[in-house]
Amino acid sequence: MTETSRLLEQAAQITTPWGKSFTAPEANRLDVVIDANDLPAAAAALNAACWGYLAAITGLDRGADDGRIEALYHFCAGAAVAALRVTTPRAEARLPSICAAYPSASIFERELSEMLGVTFVGTPDVTPLFLPEDWSPDAYPLRKDIDLSQPNTVPVRPPPTNGENGKHFIIPIGPQHPALKEPGHFEFSVAGETVIGATVRLGYAHRGIEKAVEQRNWVQDLYLLERICGICSHIHATAYCLGVEKLAEVTVPPRAETIRTLFAELERLHSHMLWLGVAAHEAGFDTLFMAAWRDRETVMDLLEQISGNRVHYSVNVLGGVKFDLEPQHIDALLNGAAFIEERARYYFDLVNHDPLFNRRTRGVGVMTAEQAETIGVVGPTARGSGIVRDVRVEAPYLAYTRCPVEPIVETDGDLAARFSVRIRELLESCRLIRVLLETLPEGALQTRMPRRIRAGEAISRVEAPRGELFYFVKSGGGEMPERIHARTPTLCNLASALILSIGRPLADIPMILVGVDPCFSCNDRTATIHTADGSAEDETWTWERLRRYGIEATR
Amino acid sequence: MNAFDSLTGALAALLILPGGLALMLIGLIYEWANRKLIARLQNRLGPRWFQPLADVIKLLAKQSIVPAAAHPTLFALLPMIALASVLTSALALPMLGLAPAYAFPGDLIVTVCLLSLLTLCLSLAGFGTDSSFGLVGAMRALMQLFSYEAPFLLALLGPAAAAGSWQIDVIMRYAEANPWMLFTQPLGFFVAVVGLMAKLEMAPFDAPEAHTEIVSGPLTEYGGRHLALFRLSKDTALVIGLTLVAGLYLGGIADPLTFLVKTLALLVLITGVQALFARLRIDQSTTLWWRYVMILLLVQWLVMMVSRG
Repeated sequence: MTETSRLLEQAAQITTPWGKSFTAPEANRLDVVIDANDLPAAAAALNAACWGYLAAITGLDRGADDGRIEALYHFCAGAAVAALRVTTPRAEARLPSICAAYPSASIFERELSEMLGVTFVGTPDVTPLFLPEDWSPDAYPLRKDIDLSQPNTVPVRPPPTNGENGKHFIIPIGPQHPALKEPGHFEFSVAGETVIGATVRLGYAHRGIEKAVEQRNWVQDLYLLERICGICSHIHATAYCLGVEKLAEVTVPPRAETIRTLFAELERLHSHMLWLGVAAHEAGFDTLFMAAWRDRETVMDLLEQISGNRVHYSVNVLGGVKFDLEPQHIDALLNGAAFIEERARYYFDLVNHDPLFNRRTRGVGVMTAEQAETIGVVGPTARGSGIVRDVRVEAPYLAYTRCPVEPIVETDGDLAARFSVRIRELLESCRLIRVLLETLPEGALQTRMPRRIRAGEAISRVEAPRGELFYFVKSGGGEMPERIHARTPTLCNLASALILSIGRPLADIPMILVGVDPCFSCNDRTATIHTADGSAEDETWTWERLRRYGIEATR
Repeated sequence: MNAFDSLTGALAALLILPGGLALMLIGLIYEWANRKLIARLQNRLGPRWFQPLADVIKLLAKQSIVPAAAHPTLFALLPMIALASVLTSALALPMLGLAPAYAFPGDLIVTVCLLSLLTLCLSLAGFGTDSSFGLVGAMRALMQLFSYEAPFLLALLGPAAAAGSWQIDVIMRYAEANPWMLFTQPLGFFVAVVGLMAKLEMAPFDAPEAHTEIVSGPLTEYGGRHLALFRLSKDTALVIGLTLVAGLYLGGIADPLTFLVKTLALLVLITGVQALFARLRIDQSTTLWWRYVMILLLVQWLVMMVSRG
């Protein structure tokens, strides 16, 4: 904790020239209110002092009465989180861009400008990132006063013609393409086989979750947020629970903490094995793909055995967990971990020594540590470039405080390093599972949670399989949250794939793309889509229709 | 009467056995064997025995959509030319261990060229559809053709030089009478097998249709009966290629049983290699052919020339 307070003190010193007020909402946080015009200077000062990295930009609409939009620039260093808070009038929302100091801010600024209607002065890219082509440019989904009973659509622009963009030859990848397991749209300009330019368009898996949570109560939101992702569902729920429990000042029993951690590690196991299979498939190595996915079933079966479900195991409830571990579960988990460990050793040997496979991974997509810092990558992508960025290590939460994690770092920065990091993390997770089971505390599984959550703001950071997952939870003191912002690891990592693609042969692109383990479902979460003519019955699934379907399908 | 008999005989040979229908059917069965084996090697169930045939029947029944940018006649003609050229290349081969339908001196070169016509048709199909994936795929197919064609042909000419003839059935009769050329020309055999895999665009030489990059390469826009014809040509090319390499290097093909045993053994070998490797990038594939395989082959030829004196 002394290290954290030292860091926070340092942050306060750096921002003193611009700070109008300094508050500490939590022990590891510092909120600095500054004037919007001072933002670039303050950000540049933090950057010059090498104080942490830009984790997220959260936008808050403070409502028509207040008449302002607030933006929180979260910087993280170790366990310390410093936020620069700025406000801008709602009627003419305008903020200076900080891309000069932090190029990684570009993608956050794009999100903020389309979701809350903030104009960023000096930002390099102003095109929409998530919202559909036919979304009205004057409708901002995350503003409190948006009218969602009416369709917010405008006539669609004609789509760009295939292969035509000035004098460049373009290879489109997506929204539907065999290389992508989820929809995203990439356009790679090529000269022969060499890529000379790349752009991305996201948002094909938008479900409007960030908006929807504001209209549901705290318990309902847990299940909605869990569905942001089908791979790392547990970690989303965990991040949310941690945030809400912090606000409610509820302490989770130690046994529940360990079970949550255990599931998080199981999730990392199956996520990394899924990734290994997909990455091998992109390299045309289908035998490894099939083997990795076959072995992954071990983890899925374990999850099913304990929770009854394979994808949304839904372990968390606010204030604890739903399931207890029986003795037979513990035996099965130990056997499963031993099996995965043996397989992981084999895979490690394979990806490091297969000469033909190494031709596709060694020296491909090299990202130096400096580049990784500038781009702002997180998780295994960063750790493959020699940066120790693991929330479990930097800011331990849940049972990680009792069972420390050994950070896995490789320094080569190429695809082979990303393979090594993830496979070695399988071994580390297996070790952790054993330690967690050995030190499983006795006791209750849940603590009582209040129905209304005390007003306030909480930040929770957890290590998802793909990297740091950042949750900002704001309560107004009611039964529903005022704002929940989820910054997923893919949002930070995706830019690196585009930058690393330039100058590479086309054949490396799917591998470089998959190398960051992108998860588009995690990325795409905020939009509400209505049909253009307002007739929701046929094409769109209304709540009533979905409810009826759910009842009939499971009867 | 005699003329009529010979005409029906020739027609039967062309359309049913050993050409035409029988060839395509064997091709489909070999495709199944290849797919099933690879599935088992990858711990999957794999298709049922009639799956390739069912696929072709389904494709034949389906509507074939011609892209607006493609030349409709050319679009439809290319798969036909591909199938016709592959079927024609079977004429000089002792298919199923039977005597070749039409043998002449130098038919080895003609057979290999007719097989290359398939790759050429595929590339033209890719160029003709004006799709980004098709164009890149076609370019890659041609680039690969230029890298493996010369080594592959030279590898097949090794046995021809040993037999002193460029006529396939003469070489095969020589192969039957002498020790297997797999042992006397091992490097040539290696190049012939790898060359066959490149010709058939099997992994690790499947860059022209690398589906995680360029969907289906040249065939991306193809569907329905046109795609079915292309698939049939590829399956037939598989049988012909196996027959050629097995006949030249594995001691000839005297009867249907040796035909089955030897071609299937070769298929198992190829499938094993296919399951073992990751895909080569097109630049890596080209490098491999010109920098390594070609040298191996030249060494083989040098040894042959020296040992002959």
